[in-house]
Amino acid sequence: MKHVHTIVIGGGPAGLAAAISAHKQGVSVLLIERESKLGGILKQCIHDGFGLDRFKERLTGPEYAKRFIDELDALSIDVLLSTTVLHIAKEKEGYCLDVVNADGVARYSCKSLVLSTGCRERTSRQVFIHGQRPSGVYTAGSAQYFMNILGMLPTRRCVILGSGDIGLIMARRLSLEGAQVLGVYEAKPTPSGLTRNLLQCLEDYNIPLHLSHTVIKVYGDSRLEGVEISKVDENMHPIPGTSFRVDCDALILSVGLIPENELAESLSISLDPKTKGPFVNQYFMTEKEGCFICGNALHVNDLVDHVSYCATKAGAYAAQYENKKHYDQPVQVEGNFGYFIPQRIRYPLGEDPIACYFRVNREMKKAKFSLIVNDQIIYTKVFHHVKPPEMEFLELKQDLFKGAKTISVKMEELL
Amino acid sequence: MNVHSLEKRLNRMLYKLYPGQFSVQVTDDSIVVKGFSEDWNQIVDVCQRCVVKNSSYHVVNDIKFLNHEPKQMLVPHKTSQQYDQKHYDVVIIGAGISGASIARELSRFDLSILLLDKETDVAMHASSKNDGEVHPGVDLPKGSLKQKYVVRGNRMYDRICKELDVPFYRRGQYVGFTQGWLRPVVEAFALQRRVECGVDDTRVISAKEAFKREPNLSKDIQFVLYNTSAGCVSPYGLTIAYAENAVMNGAEIALNTAVLDMKVQKGKIVSIQTNQGIIYPKIVINCAGVFAEDIARMAKDRFYSIHPRRGTDLILDKKANFLTKSIVSTKTLGQQANQHTKGGGIMRTVEDTILVGPNAQETYEKEDFSTYPEDIDTIIARQSRTCPKLAKKDVIAYYTGIRAATFEEDYILEWGHHTKNLYHVAGIQSPGLTTAPAVAVDVSHAVVERLRIYQEVKENKAFDPIRKGIPMLRTMSLQERNDLVRKNPDYGIMVCRCEEISKGEILDALRSPLKVHTLDAVKRRCRPGMGRCQGGFCAPLVAKMISDEYQIPLEEVIKSTDGSNLVYKSKKGGASY
Amino acid sequence: MKEMICIVCPNGCHLKIDASKEEIKVTGNLCPRGEAFARAEMTCPMRTISSTVKTTSSVQPVVSVKVSQEIPKSKIFDVMDQIQSVVLDHDLDVGQPIIQNVCDLGVDVILTTSFRNG
Repeated sequence: MKHVHTIVIGGGPAGLAAAISAHKQGVSVLLIERESKLGGILKQCIHDGFGLDRFKERLTGPEYAKRFIDELDALSIDVLLSTTVLHIAKEKEGYCLDVVNADGVARYSCKSLVLSTGCRERTSRQVFIHGQRPSGVYTAGSAQYFMNILGMLPTRRCVILGSGDIGLIMARRLSLEGAQVLGVYEAKPTPSGLTRNLLQCLEDYNIPLHLSHTVIKVYGDSRLEGVEISKVDENMHPIPGTSFRVDCDALILSVGLIPENELAESLSISLDPKTKGPFVNQYFMTEKEGCFICGNALHVNDLVDHVSYCATKAGAYAAQYENKKHYDQPVQVEGNFGYFIPQRIRYPLGEDPIACYFRVNREMKKAKFSLIVNDQIIYTKVFHHVKPPEMEFLELKQDLFKGAKTISVKMEELL
Repeated sequence: MNVHSLEKRLNRMLYKLYPGQFSVQVTDDSIVVKGFSEDWNQIVDVCQRCVVKNSSYHVVNDIKFLNHEPKQMLVPHKTSQQYDQKHYDVVIIGAGISGASIARELSRFDLSILLLDKETDVAMHASSKNDGEVHPGVDLPKGSLKQKYVVRGNRMYDRICKELDVPFYRRGQYVGFTQGWLRPVVEAFALQRRVECGVDDTRVISAKEAFKREPNLSKDIQFVLYNTSAGCVSPYGLTIAYAENAVMNGAEIALNTAVLDMKVQKGKIVSIQTNQGIIYPKIVINCAGVFAEDIARMAKDRFYSIHPRRGTDLILDKKANFLTKSIVSTKTLGQQANQHTKGGGIMRTVEDTILVGPNAQETYEKEDFSTYPEDIDTIIARQSRTCPKLAKKDVIAYYTGIRAATFEEDYILEWGHHTKNLYHVAGIQSPGLTTAPAVAVDVSHAVVERLRIYQEVKENKAFDPIRKGIPMLRTMSLQERNDLVRKNPDYGIMVCRCEEISKGEILDALRSPLKVHTLDAVKRRCRPGMGRCQGGFCAPLVAKMISDEYQIPLEEVIKSTDGSNLVYKSKKGGASY
Repeated sequence: MKEMICIVCPNGCHLKIDASKEEIKVTGNLCPRGEAFARAEMTCPMRTISSTVKTTSSVQPVVSVKVSQEIPKSKIFDVMDQIQSVVLDHDLDVGQPIIQNVCDLGVDVILTTSFRNG
């Protein structure tokens, strides 16, 4: 059994940043990645727009990943590629991992663990699309892999369900490659993707966006031949009598991402039903002492820059981790919040400002964020144009939380 | 009852119900129902009413279904002369569990055997789209063929699955009753099953005892009918294993081969016309499932009818595994549940996932495996009565299968009535998977006996009953796993993250004795893409492996059926598409 | 009067553009970047595009590329035609051009992933 101080699981943007940051704290680090190359999903995200926050440049996914991979190489951080974690066990001090790769099965132990396992896409079955099971039903990510990595066209004429960013980006990519995108259909009354993607990916290519519509059925018994589309009511249930058929050879789904937390769950770490990621404190530490989490496994981020920022913090905290006497205070959430991270504050407090991530439930032109400690509003901040597709970020000084018996955050509309 | 008075009685009955719409003609062996209707359920109802219990008569449906053009059987686009002018001792039509198991049992003899199927793989219809329960046979009426074979078949499973290296677990079946006052009746029923039907593991246990083992059963349950012998198996896994073992022992399997017509002379099938040439058989076995009647018609030996019945099953995320360790269902007397299924249930499959269903719906479509939102909702509502914690949000996949029921709701296992070299294995529905090992033995013996009238049939001295399956690394200990990876590093490289399937396992599937290069074939053999992401991550990787292994361009790799290509060629490199 | 949403920053200002007179007038922007964005959109909208180029390798059948600078929106498909027609058959690093001065736009098509033939 080999021992390292910090093990990072997952070599996507979160894992890369976490491993580099942990290493810089002067501890031994091992990064474990199941694929043969580092970079995670960025490898196939060949469009640009990454890194505007972090590098003040518009990089493509592979270029953004390369910045971190180069740094990781320069620091000579240990990496295990094509390696899958089979089990994790919590030991009295730290964790024990069984991994497998082409060399066989091996066991590692570590003092602290960073889970940067990313997310996966929701599937057609999970959104309950019916009909036979023809080929040509792809999640946007699979279609993207076929196109950007394997160089094949997943469709010549398709419908996209869901206006999430990956769906919008695929609409543009497919149009560029000569495929016809007949329309993007979204069950919600508002688009899920970023405004800049609506403009640059749909409007530029004259692709119509149909809100309050969903696909209810696929046609075809070998290759997909068409889809049945229906209007939906405010609860997103199909309205009888409003459906129509659109002939196409593929249905591309961009219906949401789900944090991938099977490893966390195997450690009996409970998940926040709102983020679908573990509950964390301001150090990105889960309920299990010494087990940290970052990136899309914690919550689905809108921008990779946020992932890198949060992972850099989580990596450093994992490296610094000591099991000291402590207690945690929950953060109560009021008003228009989809979710709020961190869900707990750990005492004694540290020095660093606390990185908070949240999303709102509904769009607001102007909104006031308040931090309420012991029933006193002790901090407020005004946000403009908040909407569910865009994640909001703010940093709060740890001092604000001093001596808190109750902590809550509130989001209210300013008219 | 003579033919004439039976015919009169049935006609009178139909006239009372639907004056002037239907009529019955009774022949030597069939009750032929004629007339017209726009309503398929009415057609099924009329034919069901014409069934004469405990007789040798089968109901033949000749009712014209108005406003519906009969759909042609889907056949492969590809044609070739690969099997043209070939002669076989036995041709088996349909490579489901029946056809594959019979092929394997026949391969114990020195015979030329061809198992053919129109689909791209074996077990593409009912044999893959069912719940995989190995039934104890507690619910079957005495005197039926189903009942005759179910206990025998069930007992053969340990041996057969060991020989063929197919996972099989006896999980036990709990049928909960919600009405306490029924207990004496069910006790008497259990006794009768034990003594008269040979289902000797049947017993009644208290709800308390059942809750101890199955804590998530509904607290409405008052007592439970319990059978230890109930088991689960992968239905397509077993069919594939049977087929591979048949191939290993000399049988040929022709996939993508559809029977288009037959030449019948003097009560004998002379030749079979397929899209891959004209084949000359000595004996034909009809294992064509929902198309058994169509094959019988081509062979001029149609004396029964199939009425397809759809059933949908749901697969839950592994997170819902707490629901049950076995096979559980509930019964409430007086509720008009469909009588042709025990109403479905919730079961733990061999893959350790939870399967819920099936329901039962009459349909005229033989190959429409569509699912409908109502199916999901009714199944969830129905089975929540057994396990109240069952939740729709845990559903990760669902599929529909179509049962090949006769109106008598029993098997047809007999030689042709008019065509002499044809053996019918028809009307095989639940518990067809359970009975297959036993039926295959009897059918193979009947066929060999018949052949021996004309020729010498020796045993196949080289017959090897052992087939080795693909190793399942995820179920192994770390030591075993390590040893295997040391021998073959590909077993250490993961391709399917959700189900933990390695590159080595996928290559094993691609290199197995029965070569099938579709994405679904790989999925059925070693499960990549069966997990929660449903192939989102691994489908492109497996497609690339198929393309590399068989040296076929990626745009020609198919998902499952002919024409189900995954991707198109791009314009890159100046190519045109 | 034309309306558009500014995409320069996440504020997403709803811009109103009056181009009826010689001088283009922009309202609704919170900062000057919005005005510049609107003017560019009205006169010569510029975009970057990224795609892939076919290679001779079966391990890496395509390699990702992008244009080194923004190109006029109207030229997107002309540039795509060039990208579709080339085949990469030798090792090349990230940032290296595979097509120089594509469509005479003074812009290169460069690799965004390194390519190793083999």
